[in-house]
Amino acid sequence: MNNNFEKLQISLLRLFFTLSIIFFILTLFGTSPLKVFDSIIYGSLGSYSKLIRTLIVWGPISMASIALIYTFSAGMWNIGIEGQIIMGAVGATLIARSFLGDTFISPYVQIIFAIGFGGVWGLICGLLKVKGNVHEIFSGLGLDFVASGIVIYLIIGPWKREGIASTSGTDIFDKASWIPTIGQNEFPLLLIILILILYILSFVVLKYTSFGLRLKATGVNELATQRFYFSSSTFILLSFFIAGSIAGLAGFSQASGAYHKLVPSISGGFGFLSILIVLICSRNIYFTFIVSFFFSALIVGGSQLQIRLGLDHSLIGIIQATFVLSWLIFEKLKLEEPLLKKVFRSNK
Amino acid sequence: MLLFENTIVTVISLSTPLIIAVIGETISEKSGVINLSAEGTIMISALCGFAFGYLTDFALIGFITGALSGAFIAAFISYCDIKLRMDQIAVGFVLTILCIDLSNYLGQEYVRINGPIVAKFSLPLISKIPFFGKVLFNHSLITYFSILLIPTSWFFLNKTSLGLAIRASGENPLAARSRGINVKKMRLLGTIIGGALLGLAGATFSLYTKYGWSESHTANYGWIILAIVIFGGWNPYRAAAGAYGFGLLQVLAIKAQSVTLALSQILPLLPFPIMIFILIFIQYINRRERKNLPKFILSILGGNQPEALGKKLPEDVN
Repeated sequence: MNNNFEKLQISLLRLFFTLSIIFFILTLFGTSPLKVFDSIIYGSLGSYSKLIRTLIVWGPISMASIALIYTFSAGMWNIGIEGQIIMGAVGATLIARSFLGDTFISPYVQIIFAIGFGGVWGLICGLLKVKGNVHEIFSGLGLDFVASGIVIYLIIGPWKREGIASTSGTDIFDKASWIPTIGQNEFPLLLIILILILYILSFVVLKYTSFGLRLKATGVNELATQRFYFSSSTFILLSFFIAGSIAGLAGFSQASGAYHKLVPSISGGFGFLSILIVLICSRNIYFTFIVSFFFSALIVGGSQLQIRLGLDHSLIGIIQATFVLSWLIFEKLKLEEPLLKKVFRSNK
Repeated sequence: MLLFENTIVTVISLSTPLIIAVIGETISEKSGVINLSAEGTIMISALCGFAFGYLTDFALIGFITGALSGAFIAAFISYCDIKLRMDQIAVGFVLTILCIDLSNYLGQEYVRINGPIVAKFSLPLISKIPFFGKVLFNHSLITYFSILLIPTSWFFLNKTSLGLAIRASGENPLAARSRGINVKKMRLLGTIIGGALLGLAGATFSLYTKYGWSESHTANYGWIILAIVIFGGWNPYRAAAGAYGFGLLQVLAIKAQSVTLALSQILPLLPFPIMIFILIFIQYINRRERKNLPKFILSILGGNQPEALGKKLPEDVN
């Protein structure tokens, strides 16, 4: 039997198990799982404008997930991703509020600044790991909160709205600084192009270049890096820089595509959500593409839960986290393979 | 003088849950397990504690339920870590997200209602001592518990054979095993004790220091606790000092609110840069120059990270 086919079967069976658990929990909460999923699908894909809203959420989540694939490949836990997204948004806001803010080149300059700001923030985490030997979880967590401190300071202080000092956010950007859209329904073309480029580029880089291979070697086996005479430190630093840059792009997408201003919770928790996504996709770009879309649809569709069924939005987070936790546990329990074999034997 | 007294009283009672949580996480990390779910554990046990306290109208039941829910989550992490050999950090992280949303979903009925009240309990006689009596002996029982917990946990970790076995399992599992210590059991025990204390801290938030329940009621405290544990260099006394320091920061932040909004928002985030600085410092003195530094700096800023912290147990342990 084809090996890939077998893998697909195992994945599908695992998906079935995982969804069963989610259905079970939803029933336990006294809700109807079918109604919940119906609302989610209607709320996220039910119309063209809803699809566009899903795409605008899918953008930053995809970017953050791709960013995390680089650090996970190098064996690093990039919990600092939230901070990198936030700093990317700060970079973008800096340009949107500058003299370039009302010119058509603003979004493109924002991209450069967002990449720079996010990249540097990621690099700090990498440097602390390589030079200071600080566990990346603690430094990442610290830098997340430092970044959110910076944003709060900016919003209350230098970038406050005329006359009001509140944490509700900065002034709305000039329309020229928004991510360019097309048509009446505001299809975010630039965003979609960026995501597709990132997916394809990352697929090629991670799979077909020596850089990708070395990155993986850094994560899997430090001894190998010594045998093949390259420094794992360099690759750890690079992975953090690349991850930070891509996460910065996600911040740009949040600031100029979703909110059109800088708010304290600019990352929307998408960084942590992307960690969940990458945990189950384990560096597989196809899976990341699908799962990040599925999770974005859950988020956007979740707003319908309140309207149609009177259920709180936090149910979506429960579905997502349960999905990931059960998936990870089933992955370890390895129930699927023996089950499949049993079924095939009985067929013969 | 009165202002000074009142400030200290506020700091001590505000820090009560922080002390309990910080010591819980310290014990967990001493056994080699980073309980990254601290944020989620505290949140859900705050809800459980408040809900059960409200339903039974008895605060003690609330505290017990809080501790039990914390212990349950810790046991789950331990099971995934030891039996399923999953990444403890991954499990802890997913559980954090799950518990936060779960508490927000299940807690909707309990938003802004009144439950049982934890009364102040002035110790007879000694609470009459001027200054010290008012500052130290005029609190609720849970605060006395938190103060007593500091020396007790130090004694437990350093002077009892069980505490030493837990520490050994966190430092060097293989060596511990060759001395006949059941490493898996010790890790399980350390994590569960730590988790129960985290849960108790959660219940203390919702029943005492941050009374009631609202959406994301204890947001960010769990992450701050992870930072304070490092600030404390995995030593209960220093961790407690860090927790009181953070309590003071919170009081200052409230006071600063009337002066400048920015400062009051940013002060509570101060533990995080300090945590990073401490970690760099620890690595620096562990590498070289250690002997050249004055001893008092080492005792304030040094510290030894448990050797096997966050790592999977070797395949052949037990």
